[in-house]
Amino acid sequence: MAELPSTFWSGWISVLTVGSLIGVFWLIYSIYFAAGGEEEEPSPVWDGNLREGEHPAPLWWFWLIFGSLVISVIYLMLYPGLGAFRGALNWSQGGEISQRLERYQTEFGPLRRLVAEAQLDTLREDAKLMASAQRIYDRNCAVCHGYEAQGQANLFPNLADAAWQWGGEPAQVEHSIRHGRQAVMVGWEAALGEQAIDQLTDYTLALGNGTAAGHPAEGQYMQFCAACHGADGSGNPQLGAPNLTDDASLYGQSAAAIRQSIAQGRNGEMPAFGERLDDTQIRLLVAWLTRPTTPE
Amino acid sequence: MNAVDLHRKLERNSGLLIFGILLVSAIGGLVQVLPSVLQDDLVTPGPGTQPYGPVELIGRDLYIREGCSTCHSQQVRPLLAEVKRYGPYSKAGESAYDRPFLWGSKRTGPDLHRIGGKYTDLWQRMHLLDPRSVVPDSIMPGYPWLAERAADADGSIQARMRALRRLGHPYTEAEIEAAPAALAGLAEVDALVAYLQSLRPPNAEATP
Ligand code: HEC
Ligand code: HEC
Ligand code: HEC
Repeated sequence: MAELPSTFWSGWISVLTVGSLIGVFWLIYSIYFAAGGEEEEPSPVWDGNLREGEHPAPLWWFWLIFGSLVISVIYLMLYPGLGAFRGALNWSQGGEISQRLERYQTEFGPLRRLVAEAQLDTLREDAKLMASAQRIYDRNCAVCHGYEAQGQANLFPNLADAAWQWGGEPAQVEHSIRHGRQAVMVGWEAALGEQAIDQLTDYTLALGNGTAAGHPAEGQYMQFCAACHGADGSGNPQLGAPNLTDDASLYGQSAAAIRQSIAQGRNGEMPAFGERLDDTQIRLLVAWLTRPTTPE
Repeated sequence: MNAVDLHRKLERNSGLLIFGILLVSAIGGLVQVLPSVLQDDLVTPGPGTQPYGPVELIGRDLYIREGCSTCHSQQVRPLLAEVKRYGPYSKAGESAYDRPFLWGSKRTGPDLHRIGGKYTDLWQRMHLLDPRSVVPDSIMPGYPWLAERAADADGSIQARMRALRRLGHPYTEAEIEAAPAALAGLAEVDALVAYLQSLRPPNAEATP
């Protein structure tokens, strides 16, 4: 919280504030209760009988200003306003928000802990909790993974299908969310040359439709790629190396997309949400994302 | 003396009247603004608050040039809902190196004071150049030209840093010397993304 002003400025603020209040009071008091002395030169008369000061100022006007004055004085006694004086309630903006956070903790803390520790199945059965999970998803994840978790732009993976690059076990999904993921696949064009890339592209396509055995690029694949993607192309969730044999694909299934992945490499990055979301929110997301989807 | 008499005098002497009007209208500023401008802890950097590096500085100037603050605020207010949604509320000392500050008051889009790290550079870039490519129903305008221009096309980064140094930003001569190299080859969009990624709650422990 910002410190209160120094003694000089504290005095400055108090004197000006109190001075203005007194000034306003003096003005309305003079107008209503101490009609001015005789004028040296009386106001001119217009239209036969119209003179300045002919009628008193309306009374509601007096009460409006007087009421505002009273409220101001009460306010300045209760709340900070008069320089360094904190007010009788000892209120502060920082104190207010920490109190609210505390109250929030006492009110919802136990419930949230319960959710954070509950079985995933229990959470999935609760339609209300799943609706919250979807809201958390919409607010934090949808702009990348798509509103239906269907993936987006061939850059952000589908989270609704059964294929998981980094593993679909709850613990693995939780790790993806909490700590983020940084995929590393270097480009091979410089090292292997264009022709080899073309062949490996073809090999990858062959992996996809199960005709890879005996392919001319098999040797190269085993030498350069199998360490991460596996000898059978089924991938490795520890490294985030995707399965190359299934229908799911992050960057697209066209030969051009596959060729680019192999030639230029890919470095997909998932930001860490461990600091933005709390344990309860992450647990709900995990339950929602790993729910059994439509039977395959 | 009576206020009504005083008022008559004022009314009939335009010089006095002008002086009176100025005095009365200045009181709010004299009470509210003047002491806070001179109050050290509101204008000195909070713990962990650092001056912007050259890339972020250019990015910030682009943020101003493109008028992002007409739709985005950069102040998380100390309200429960905002702290829950955006993160720690904003403090005065965090803006010590913001000239001018970009707190803003209009939220057509979300607050951006804690946006750093929420998305990746790739996403930020796609979103700035064409928001609908990642948020299909976004109403934010696209800024495709940011990808076409060099971040420091007129080579003014050193002049900008020197100007800020005069105002008290602690840039060293070595930092100013190294600035053009840091910007070499960057497009405007890269600088703006770097600036957005720098908008995080200050890490108080990281300060010496
Ligand atoms: C800035 C865009 C972005 C946002 C926001 C984002 N993600 Fe991701 N996410 C990615 C990318 C890109 C990947 C793929 C990383 C890779 O290439 O390995 C990914 C991967 C994942 C994975 C691993 C997928 C797999 O197949 O193993 C999970 C789970 C995931 N994200 C969940 C989430 C959740 C939940 C949220 C919201 C809290 C979220 N993501 C927000 C970009 C994002
Ligand atoms: C160091 C481990 C590693 C090696 C070696 C490697 N990859 Fe990868 N590969 C990855 C990772 C990790 C990804 C995911 C990249 C991402 O998510 O951004 C990937 C992605 C891919 C993709 C894109 C998959 C999709 O879903 O769009 C293809 C195709 C691919 N690799 C083919 C190959 C081929 C062919 C080789 C051998 C020349 C190879 N990889 C070698 C780790 C590796
Ligand atoms: C016409 C108003 C408007 C202007 C001008 C505008 N934005 Fe936005 N911005 C939005 C809206 C609405 C959203 C929410 C929808 C979306 O994500 O695209 C948004 C979202 C964003 C987000 C994502 C925030 C989040 O938490 O998801 C960022 C970052 C952003 N804008 C940056 C900028 C920058 C930088 C500029 C200036 C170059 C800018 N905006 C100009 C309206 C605007």
